[in-house]
Amino acid sequence: MSNSKLYKGSLNTIILKLLNENDKMYGYEITQKVKALTKGELNITEGALYPALHKLEAEGLLDVEVAKVDNRLRKYYKLTETGTKETVNKLNELAEYIKTMQALVKPKFA
Amino acid sequence: MKLTKAEIKFIDNYLIKNGVKYWDVRLELLDHTVSAVEDKINNEGVSFNEALLEIHHGFGNRIHNGYTYHLDFEKALYIDNKGLKKLTLKAQKNMAKQHRKRFWKTYPKFLMSLRFLLEFSIIIGIVFVVHRFNPKTALIIALIACFLPEIFKIFFGVFDRSNRKSLKMQMAVNISSLYMALSYLLMGVFNSYYDSVPQKPYVYLTVFFVCLFPFVRHALNTYKQIFIENREEYRLVNA
Repeated sequence: MSNSKLYKGSLNTIILKLLNENDKMYGYEITQKVKALTKGELNITEGALYPALHKLEAEGLLDVEVAKVDNRLRKYYKLTETGTKETVNKLNELAEYIKTMQALVKPKFA
Repeated sequence: MKLTKAEIKFIDNYLIKNGVKYWDVRLELLDHTVSAVEDKINNEGVSFNEALLEIHHGFGNRIHNGYTYHLDFEKALYIDNKGLKKLTLKAQKNMAKQHRKRFWKTYPKFLMSLRFLLEFSIIIGIVFVVHRFNPKTALIIALIACFLPEIFKIFFGVFDRSNRKSLKMQMAVNISSLYMALSYLLMGVFNSYYDSVPQKPYVYLTVFFVCLFPFVRHALNTYKQIFIENREEYRLVNA
């Protein structure tokens, strides 16, 4: 990742957006999906991903489903009803933020 | 290529040695690490050791000692576990928050349940009748009614293996700790304030403990629900 601090605040939104597009995902799958979508530009570390997932779960935005895969347990995360609503809000917030940043870094001159 | 049972066991032991002692936290990290190691071996052509070190580093742990890089595999793997410790601490905090949220979400429904209304009416009735004859005994009854759910909670599933080294259960025990701490505080204040009064107004404490009962009772209910879910998960792990 080129600048982790710039992406840090958007991690929850990224997770919510991915889960909104996919029915359910597990931790490692999320990291790989982000890597693939950003062509390796954004690499979510394990140390950042799991606290974010646990926080979203504690806030009631994510639900957990446990399944046995390859003789070990896998925790799948999926959006709750509140989580789906919150995703829309977070995406709007992010779009607004990007718009503001664009106005700042690329000001239009009259 | 899939990892062998011995390699998966090695990863599980690596997590335990690095302080991830709770099985319910470890199960997710184990799956992540195994998936990531398999992926790195298959797609990046790295060795098992290199892949595991890379993931260990990804959890926020150091894999070098000061400026000494390229340590032995075992040494690098166990030189630091700050990242994993931090992760466990955050999981603990989030689990407590989740339990609290669950407690309050189900509380209104619990208050309306027939079973609770019956239990509460009986307690109020007994305390009220006894208070007319002996206020101190009424207080003791209210106190016992309040502490009984806490005692049940301690013994509920104490011999169940799923309870051991489970962060979820450890945090579930603490759901009502705030109310219990409040009761200790109030008893302390009451005793020091009315120390020299011969006829102590026990009615205040009695009312407090009767009012505290719904919270403590619901904490036991929430604990039981969490226990059942946790046991199911544990059975899946060991199936």
